[in-house]
Amino acid sequence: MLRSRRSDYFAAAVLVAPFIAIFGWMFIYPTIQMVQLSFTKSPLIGAGEWIGFDNYVRMFEDRLFWTAVWNTAYFVLLTVIPGTAVALGIALMVSRLKGWTQSLILAMFFLPYILPVTVVHLIWDWMLNLQFGIAQYLIEPLAGKRVNVWRTTPWFMPMAALLTIWWTNGFSILLFLAGLRNIPRELYEAAQLDGGTRWQIFSKITWPLIWPVTALCLTIQLILQLKIFDQVYLFAQGGRTNATMVLVQYIYEQAFQKNAGGYAATIAVALFVIVVVASVLNYQFLRARDLGK
Amino acid sequence: MIRKLVGLTVLSTMLMGSVSTSFAQEAVVWWDFLGGGDGVRMKKLIEDFNAEHAGNIQIEATTLEWGVPFYTKVQTSAAVGEGPDIMTYHASRIPLAVSQGTLAEITADDWSAMGLGAETFAEATWDAVSIDGKQYAVPFDTHPIVLYYNKDKLEAAGLIGADGQPTGLEGVDGFKAALQKLKDGGTQYGVALTTADGSFAFRLIYSLLCQQGGSIGNDGAWLEGDNQGKLENAVQVISDWVSEGLAPEYTDYPSTVALFTSGESAFMVNGVWEVPTMVDLEAQGKLFNWGAIEIPALFDKTCTYADSHAFAIPNNAGKTQTPERHAAVLEVIKWMSDNSLFWATAGHIPANKAVLDSDEYKAMQPQATYAQLTESQIFDPRSPFAGVASPLFDAAGNAFTAAMNNEIDAATAAQEMKEALDSMQ
Repeated sequence: MLRSRRSDYFAAAVLVAPFIAIFGWMFIYPTIQMVQLSFTKSPLIGAGEWIGFDNYVRMFEDRLFWTAVWNTAYFVLLTVIPGTAVALGIALMVSRLKGWTQSLILAMFFLPYILPVTVVHLIWDWMLNLQFGIAQYLIEPLAGKRVNVWRTTPWFMPMAALLTIWWTNGFSILLFLAGLRNIPRELYEAAQLDGGTRWQIFSKITWPLIWPVTALCLTIQLILQLKIFDQVYLFAQGGRTNATMVLVQYIYEQAFQKNAGGYAATIAVALFVIVVVASVLNYQFLRARDLGK
Repeated sequence: MIRKLVGLTVLSTMLMGSVSTSFAQEAVVWWDFLGGGDGVRMKKLIEDFNAEHAGNIQIEATTLEWGVPFYTKVQTSAAVGEGPDIMTYHASRIPLAVSQGTLAEITADDWSAMGLGAETFAEATWDAVSIDGKQYAVPFDTHPIVLYYNKDKLEAAGLIGADGQPTGLEGVDGFKAALQKLKDGGTQYGVALTTADGSFAFRLIYSLLCQQGGSIGNDGAWLEGDNQGKLENAVQVISDWVSEGLAPEYTDYPSTVALFTSGESAFMVNGVWEVPTMVDLEAQGKLFNWGAIEIPALFDKTCTYADSHAFAIPNNAGKTQTPERHAAVLEVIKWMSDNSLFWATAGHIPANKAVLDSDEYKAMQPQATYAQLTESQIFDPRSPFAGVASPLFDAAGNAFTAAMNNEIDAATAAQEMKEALDSMQ
């Protein structure tokens, strides 16, 4: 008995070993290296001298770091819940359609998702161009004058959030649609027989049953948007980059432009901690909701 | 011992044999960042070189993304010995590269092998590739900013002199009066500038700083004394144009070009690399009469920002170039320098003075007109934080974008710029 358990352990170890080895080599080891790097004054390439907690002290006093933290949080706030809500709304509408019209409409919503960020950048940059952009015809009546959105700090993040939702929403819509199709039809028929209103049907049937998908979408979006970089970097280039700085952009700037590998690693550690804390909180919140049912 | 010597002789003969056969097809790996109209011309030069050196040297060229992506790739690949044999490089980026050991020195032997040297180039250009008396690149061109003008509009406003060149543009007030005249004549803007991009506009601001005899300084001593005040004056010139509607606000690079080529703006401040755009449009009959001149003296003297495209050899770690490959690389550089007249059609000013003095170049317009500015050009400060797409350019974007559009005043922008420069470490 004992012997066979030992051989079980052995077999399990053999089966798990390749994963552990690759995970350790590709993820754990670089992470340890990154933490080590954050205690040194290294350039981008090559070793640097050990300076203890100097980088961390510097980071906590760095105004630009806190701007980046705030901008990243603001962007997450503007995209994660609104984006998921919009996706759910669109999925509910698309699910009422039948046959090829449904496929067509769905494809239209999914199309932006397959575009690379450079194309998204070009499209929106031209649409919002101050002199020649078509979107200025919408902005002018709203704001009273033409606005260079990417150079006006209060406009920047909301517009970046809007185009990010437009760009990445297709995936969430697909997830929601799959979730909606999994809700048994009988439940709706029974509710209709009992005279349930539309709102009652949504809040008592659809919403609870679609919740696991919603939780999944929120988690994916949260982690994705905390890592925001491309859009903000591309649209801010050449202008007031500091006003709209986000965390990954700051890491990039320190490492690749200012050649400060050690300090960049310090900010990366901070981002790592933020992502871990946010994920744990997110998990606890979702679990609390499940337990409360 | 003797056996060893014999062995060595045999080995070296074999090596020489293999070397001479490999020289028959020496492949030179080339990286550049030339993606625009000048990239097309560089491809032609490379094709010509390859045709002329068929069976001998072949350039294998790759074009990479301009700016930070290019320099990051060069830096990281050289550090692991995977860099190219030769690459284009901005002179302004040399200080950072040398501090990181990315570039190989161009030695005295190299210079004499190419038949080039200090006397080949303008002094400022030579200094731009030198650090502590050593050279790290071979200048190929200088590419300053210039003032493009719409000759039809200027004629209508009486701003073309008897010699056919623009006149009456000197002094801050004189230039502004000229812009006002053009605007009164029905042109929407006097001058198109990239007012949405403070880092691009830095080239003009830097020129205007220099025109006052000011200097941006260098590491540990940025904008000292009255230089901050002079920087403020320079920014003020542009923000005045914008506030009075003489220059468009918050305008990005493509729109700047579009405003000029569509005739909505009579002047444009831009790099010489837009010359091909104008030449091509003119050839299609879609452009007015145009020209380009040196940025006029708005303050005490003329002075124009310039950078230089140069050829550099990366210091590939653990992988030194074989003498044969090195000789091939030097041949490439020499050939390009000798044939840089064609490069001038891209607007750039050839660095090789012999080419500049040739009759063919002097007949080239508007290049020959603005080429005089090489006498008074100024390059970026020699700092690892300066150069195109550098932290200094980023700092300029942050400080000047808002000021040019009158969101903050010029004094605040100059102060912000100084603080940003001082905080670089």
